[in-house]
Amino acid sequence: MEAYRDQYATLFNNGRGVVVIAISADADTMQAAWARESGFPMLFVSDPDGTVGTVYGAFNPNSRTDDRSLFVIDQNGRIAHTFRPFRALAAPDYQALGEAVTRLLPPAASEERDPGG
Amino acid sequence: MRKNFLTVALLAGLAGGAAAQQPADPPGPKVGDMAPDFSLSGATRYGLLQEPVRLSQYRGEVIVLAFFSRARTRG
Repeated sequence: MEAYRDQYATLFNNGRGVVVIAISADADTMQAAWARESGFPMLFVSDPDGTVGTVYGAFNPNSRTDDRSLFVIDQNGRIAHTFRPFRALAAPDYQALGEAVTRLLPPAASEERDPGG
Repeated sequence: MRKNFLTVALLAGLAGGAAAQQPADPPGPKVGDMAPDFSLSGATRYGLLQEPVRLSQYRGEVIVLAFFSRARTRG
């Protein structure tokens, strides 16, 4: 999550046209406290019984936690890219994530992110 | 005879193991599928949200849906 926060502007077009939703089985109060303490800019949603995690194939019923699956969803609601798992400590995964998001953004937005030259 | 049986059993086990090591597709939606909608309690750094968060309310934007294992960990 720290890397998401620190690279938010670069990875996610500073939130313009992109919404980042972090999901776990933690209670919403725990997520809110952690977000406040760490200054996370993203939205959190709480899935305590793992119902949504199960649908997405991310929930482990033994540990009752989610894995690090990540889904990039396009503007029409379709899955555009998956990371199964997303390796939070791997620079190539962050690069691939940024590229996957950029591909979906309108050209003006992506050019603004990367003016080139 | 017993040694041969053990050898055959070992080889069969290895073969079965090799077949089992073929990576299976992980469960869940695939590229091209509609992302399953949901409605869950939400929070931000400013506190709990009054209304549930529905995935479909963000139609028209790119959504990065990131699962993680536990708050206050690197996961």
